[in-house]
Amino acid sequence: MSFLGGGSSSKSNEDIKTALLQQVQQEQAMNNARALIGKINENCFDACVPAPGASLSAKENACMSSCMQKYINMWNTVSRSYMHRMNEERKKMGGDVAGLSM
Amino acid sequence: MDPSLDLSKLSDADKADLQQQLANEQQKATIQQTVHSLNETCFKKCTSAKSFSSGTLDRTEEACAANCVDRWMDSQLLILQKLGSMRQ
Repeated sequence: MSFLGGGSSSKSNEDIKTALLQQVQQEQAMNNARALIGKINENCFDACVPAPGASLSAKENACMSSCMQKYINMWNTVSRSYMHRMNEERKKMGGDVAGLSM
Repeated sequence: MDPSLDLSKLSDADKADLQQQLANEQQKATIQQTVHSLNETCFKKCTSAKSFSSGTLDRTEEACAANCVDRWMDSQLLILQKLGSMRQ
């Protein structure tokens, strides 16, 4: 690192902003994935494994995997509907969230 | 935190810009959390264990999910409205 900055290892202001934002976005993506996985297990385990046996049966296995796909599909539908409705409500109030894409 | 990310070097304008962008990220995170809890609610209302033979949403489930979100929002707005009128 050179004393007056400008060295190869020192970052420009733009780089610092981008790097920080990227880090925040990555952590957010992680948290989002973790939340989704937790919810899937909670809901699908509840629905597919009413009486846990010594191992997951083939039927339970198939149920879990369909349930998981269905949960994710519904997440996407719900997210789309919610964003759509939020935008409608905001339009009514005169603002918009054009800059917020998921 | 990456030690090369020295925020003290940023100008005030850059700091303000960064703050704005982080606020946007914060808002996105809040929305995602709402979608997680809303999805759980709607999943319970719109699907049953019997339908877990397929991973895709059938037309009824798809429509139910969209209605579920809209009616949930209606309820949310109704509550806010009622609370607002109670305060007066």
